[in-house]
Amino acid sequence: MDLNWGLILPLLIIEAILIVVALIDLIRIDETKGPKWVWALIIIFLTVLGPISYFIFGRRQD
Amino acid sequence: MQWSVIFKKEMLENARNIKWIWVPIVFFIFGIMDPITTYYLPKILESVGGLPEGAVVDIPMPIPAEAFFYSVSEIDSLGLLVIALIGMRLIAGEMKSGVYELVLSKPVKYTNYVTAKWAGFVLLVVTSTFIGLLAGWYYVNLLFGDLGFDAFLTTFLLYSVYSLFFTAIIVFVNTWFKKPGMVLFLSFLLAIGIDIITSIYGHILTWSPGHISSYVNDYLQSGTIPSEMWGTIGTTFVLIIIMLLLSIVILKNKEK
Repeated sequence: MDLNWGLILPLLIIEAILIVVALIDLIRIDETKGPKWVWALIIIFLTVLGPISYFIFGRRQD
Repeated sequence: MQWSVIFKKEMLENARNIKWIWVPIVFFIFGIMDPITTYYLPKILESVGGLPEGAVVDIPMPIPAEAFFYSVSEIDSLGLLVIALIGMRLIAGEMKSGVYELVLSKPVKYTNYVTAKWAGFVLLVVTSTFIGLLAGWYYVNLLFGDLGFDAFLTTFLLYSVYSLFFTAIIVFVNTWFKKPGMVLFLSFLLAIGIDIITSIYGHILTWSPGHISSYVNDYLQSGTIPSEMWGTIGTTFVLIIIMLLLSIVILKNKEK
């Protein structure tokens, strides 16, 4: 299967950035809803969906 | 003066929440996801296998305009979901946490409060939509052939009218309930309700905001903006103003 990496690479890079941003935020934030390590797993293993749900549901909103 | 203070507070908050980073990134992914998967679909089917011997995967490639509309519909569905999830706490969350009382214990005009919050929200949403569509347009040009920049720009401007409308719905519903879940549910109920009414009485309600995405599709297919679009934009802006005015009235009457 020949993939044009020039096309796929930007998508992978941007997904990686999203994961890194979420993880950095997770480390720096004081408290999350639910245990931090669960969020870390969700962020790493659920691509795109993981970081999004962390940003929306995981960060404490107050 | 006062307006810009609230607006700046909103901007600062969105920066602290890192919404200014993650929302544009997510919209970027939404924008390019569909063109890429459509382009690689035949290859994916081949590699997954399960096809009978000698079967030829022959999926016609969409024309560039069609492929670009995939990006638009992705943002029109998943994008709106993300927007609603972010927006469900816009005012309702502040009421719950007490920030709302804190802000309005100062002589703040409700008009300033509502419009500044809406504007801050709109700026984030429209910027993200711009980035998502731009990325989608760029990928369509790489994968499916030429599509003019003017087509992207017109699509973005027309679709943004719907973004403004949807955010106004969210602000409006925010003033009814303190529960974010309720806000999310009712915002979608309203937006979907308008879509359903539009699809049933579409021939009469040619100026309904529910038509915007199909008019955008018409524009992409034919290259000319349907004449009903201008009436639709007019109605949509009137509805936005009505919803914001009602939000202000509701908030005014809530206390005391």
